[in-house]
Amino acid sequence: MHGPAALQLTPDGRLKHLLTTEGLPKSLITELLDTAETFLSSQGQPVKKVPLLRGKTVVNLFFENSTRTRTTFDIAAHRLSADVVTLDIRTSSASKGETLFDTLKNLEAMQADLFVVRHSAGGAPFFIADRVTPNIAVINAGDGTHAHPTQALLDLMTIRKHKGDPANLSVAIVGDLKHSRVARSLIHGLRGMGCPDIRAIGPGTLLPSDLGHLGVRTFHAIEDGLKDVDVVVLLRLQKERMSSALLPSEREFFNLYGMTESRLRLAKDNAIVMHPGPINRGVEIANEVADGPQAVILDQVTNGIAIRMAVMAMTLSTQQGSHS
Amino acid sequence: MSVIIQNIQIISPGSPLHGTTEIGINNGEFVNPTTLADATEINGNSAWLVPGLIDCRVNLREPGLEHKGTIASETRAAVAGGVTSVVATPTTDPVVDSPADVRLVLERAKASGHCRVFPTAMLTQGGSGNHLSEMAALVDAGCVALAQGNRPFNSRKIEFNALKYAQSLGIRVILDSESRDFAGGCAHAGQIGTGLGLSLNSPLSETLGLGADLELVEATGVSAHFSRITTKTSVDRIREAKAKGLQITCDVTLSHLLYSEQAIVNLDPNFHLERPLRTEDDRLALIAGVVDGTIDLIVSDHSPHETGAKLAPFPETEKGMSLIEGVIQLLLTLDQRGELSFEQSLAAMTSNAAQVINQKELGAVQYGNPADCVLLDPNGSTTYNQEQWLSAGTNSPLFGQTLPGRVMGSWIHGQHIAP
Repeated sequence: MHGPAALQLTPDGRLKHLLTTEGLPKSLITELLDTAETFLSSQGQPVKKVPLLRGKTVVNLFFENSTRTRTTFDIAAHRLSADVVTLDIRTSSASKGETLFDTLKNLEAMQADLFVVRHSAGGAPFFIADRVTPNIAVINAGDGTHAHPTQALLDLMTIRKHKGDPANLSVAIVGDLKHSRVARSLIHGLRGMGCPDIRAIGPGTLLPSDLGHLGVRTFHAIEDGLKDVDVVVLLRLQKERMSSALLPSEREFFNLYGMTESRLRLAKDNAIVMHPGPINRGVEIANEVADGPQAVILDQVTNGIAIRMAVMAMTLSTQQGSHS
Repeated sequence: MSVIIQNIQIISPGSPLHGTTEIGINNGEFVNPTTLADATEINGNSAWLVPGLIDCRVNLREPGLEHKGTIASETRAAVAGGVTSVVATPTTDPVVDSPADVRLVLERAKASGHCRVFPTAMLTQGGSGNHLSEMAALVDAGCVALAQGNRPFNSRKIEFNALKYAQSLGIRVILDSESRDFAGGCAHAGQIGTGLGLSLNSPLSETLGLGADLELVEATGVSAHFSRITTKTSVDRIREAKAKGLQITCDVTLSHLLYSEQAIVNLDPNFHLERPLRTEDDRLALIAGVVDGTIDLIVSDHSPHETGAKLAPFPETEKGMSLIEGVIQLLLTLDQRGELSFEQSLAAMTSNAAQVINQKELGAVQYGNPADCVLLDPNGSTTYNQEQWLSAGTNSPLFGQTLPGRVMGSWIHGQHIAP
């Protein structure tokens, strides 16, 4: 394997960090999804507490604003019985001029076992994983517009639960793929799982020009792109896309690409609708779809906790299992 | 003291001495060895003797950025890479925009430099892109050309005025073509940069700027040198403009000949450059441009940085790489790859460069010229590691690499410099 993805695996192919879904083999993704499912109760809710990470310290390093992702990592770590420290770096050392490298060395000296990193610069978690002391695991919780691997894994878990093996499915991703780390990671994850039909739907200003080499087909007309898909993934539209002249208005976006009941009928009868949240009603999604039976958006949130538990448990067992 | 270097092969494209096997040096000049009596004889052991390289884009960092490099440290590194003359960029801190600044650079170079240093200065005061510099005084003080570096003009109108004024005084300008609207981004807007989620730089940032610059050059009649072109479209545009008769020259950086966007897949910040590495097609078009003469010069764009400048995630690091220590070895590398013959790349860093900076007695091994030359063992090799690194800039992809060629010694104005 080439590229930074190689950093996250041991020589014998086990997961020691989770930095990207790019290049993750199907066997590892499947193992992660299977492990996550063991953390769900028979009612489909995450188990309340297991002692797997007792005595371990998880440090949430958030250099960028996040409420949801940080909260689910918090909950996941607590349910594994880990001690959790959350550092909102925007308000601490970084604003005092300390470099990322020095922040990292200081936190290591405090005997952390696992770093959960979110950063606005693409590649920041790789920088950390490349320099961190051996035995410390690093999990990417979103870096720039590059990657958001735990989101992709929880999406794959949700897809597999509702629709079965992605190797038999058609998946459409709608909206701002260009600025979306969620979309990039999901595309790599779907490819890793052997998904044969991945489609990108959106206006030319919001789609990367180089999707063909990833095996993704591009559609500008949503009516063409949605035909007979099993899964529809909507992406959040940021307000700043209007101010940077990539889109005229939210209203026009909804008219062209908003997920309505009539559009959803173009997909397969029991297709599911997903969204990484938070949703903008009347922009990416109509009320009746958001609240309708095909939306699995809240199930994604629940699965997110189980996936993060699985990723923490697996990376830490790789990092420390062989040394303790 | 006079010397005769024997048992060598002189490689100096265009010189009548090209291919001959001995040379004399007396009073700082190349001379016919048969005219010398009592000269010290040096056995070249079948090595090549080439004109000292002239690197027309080097960031020496002095004044003001001495934590990144000094005239002393960077010119010493240059000599190790076969370079005997450097053209210093004016983008120091403060920028070089007054005769006093130019004299400072020249005095420092004289006091502590290891090779020839030719200064350039900003076309506008403070590099602000607003008010014209005292161009005549700057050239009087010793500048070989005036440049705007990586600083934009505030408007195309001001750029037009600067070019017109320079033209009327017969001053050559160096332009980094860029459209401000498309400037920025740390990776080429292609597959690799998109996949890594980096901020992207479209080739339009360069080609839109180049189109406008070419029109202004044509309208003003100024003698212009376009620096650091990176795209196939730019090569085509310059080829067309030259065919049309415009008095222009251009350069490409060594890194853009050696590497494509593929080099950033591991997010190695040494490949974070002011002009992003582009596609393999672009790289091959740049090489073809050197071969057919569309591209006149190869430059190192040597940009030393302190360690901390690169100790961060890729997008947050400072731009540029420290490369000058490997220049002649990298030209041999391109030759060994079968991509660009050493004779062609050598011309782009010797005789062509001498023309562009109007130092016509440099860049060729020829009787009567100042004796600037490098004795190069083409069968030897050079291994790079941090312990023996001379540049203050540790931001180099060369660490751990072994490149073809070994510099056995250099002469600058007849003064011998041991390797």
